[in-house]
Amino acid sequence: MASTSSSTTPAAAEVEERGRKRKRADGAGSTAAGGAEAQPSKWRTRREHEIYSSKLLEAIRLVRAGSSSSSGSGATRGRAVREAADRALAVAARGRTHWSRAILASRRRRFQAVRRARLRAPATPPSRHNAAASAAATGQGSSAPPLAEKARMLGWLVPGCRRLSFPTLLEETTDYIEALQMQVRTMAALAEALSAISANSSSGGAGSSNSSAA
Amino acid sequence: MSSRRSRSSGGASRISDEQISDLVAKLQALLPEARLRSNDRVPSARVLQETCSYIRSLQREVDDLSDRLSELLATADVSTAQAAVIRSLLM
Repeated sequence: MASTSSSTTPAAAEVEERGRKRKRADGAGSTAAGGAEAQPSKWRTRREHEIYSSKLLEAIRLVRAGSSSSSGSGATRGRAVREAADRALAVAARGRTHWSRAILASRRRRFQAVRRARLRAPATPPSRHNAAASAAATGQGSSAPPLAEKARMLGWLVPGCRRLSFPTLLEETTDYIEALQMQVRTMAALAEALSAISANSSSGGAGSSNSSAA
Repeated sequence: MSSRRSRSSGGASRISDEQISDLVAKLQALLPEARLRSNDRVPSARVLQETCSYIRSLQREVDDLSDRLSELLATADVSTAQAAVIRSLLM
């Protein structure tokens, strides 16, 4: 039972991906307006299934790693889950957005090296930032000073969006918020299902399914 | 007038106020606050501020959920995890 379920899940995921790729090709073939319209719903329908399959892999790997090495405290494991979830989310974005690329890039390069570089970097970029912000403000004339401040705060929150123009930043934020909402929905549903299943198994009601799974 | 100013900055993208307010409106539609949706003339600064706090709360929620998931997964085996995923898909 376990072997068949494990073989069907990746196959089902593959079928889903093919269907989604065709949909994406159709969406890309149509006008940009059509693509923009399809995007808000993207985070709410099929993408959820795709990110589910990748999260399944992530969850299983973490379970195996955690159980084998018994790594540290719950906080370490929680952070590992969070990072893997963010990475899966970024992969689901298919590299079309700045924030997803930033998440994946920071994972690929060495974590600590990037962080050390960023710790040293802030000495210079703020001056560039101010110059760029003032130049951009005078150039575009559309972001007033108080807005620019809030926009910079947003740029810090959304990964990899510190140096974007205002409208691009707004688009990135929109996509990022939708992705985060989907991530929360997904993880909440997964947690509910897990707790329900563990409650069932602990109460001893699902003894037959456990024996057939073994 | 603002579009005429933009010609000095390379002219690659003439960003109009209309475009910006359109994007801000889209952003506003995502926010969960009903009181923001009631007005049409919400200042963009307020929308951005709400967006910042909303993103922070979402990230905090993801952190909490991932902690909870790590605890749940620690006691679960592979087949239980698979079953949970399928079940959450069906729900």
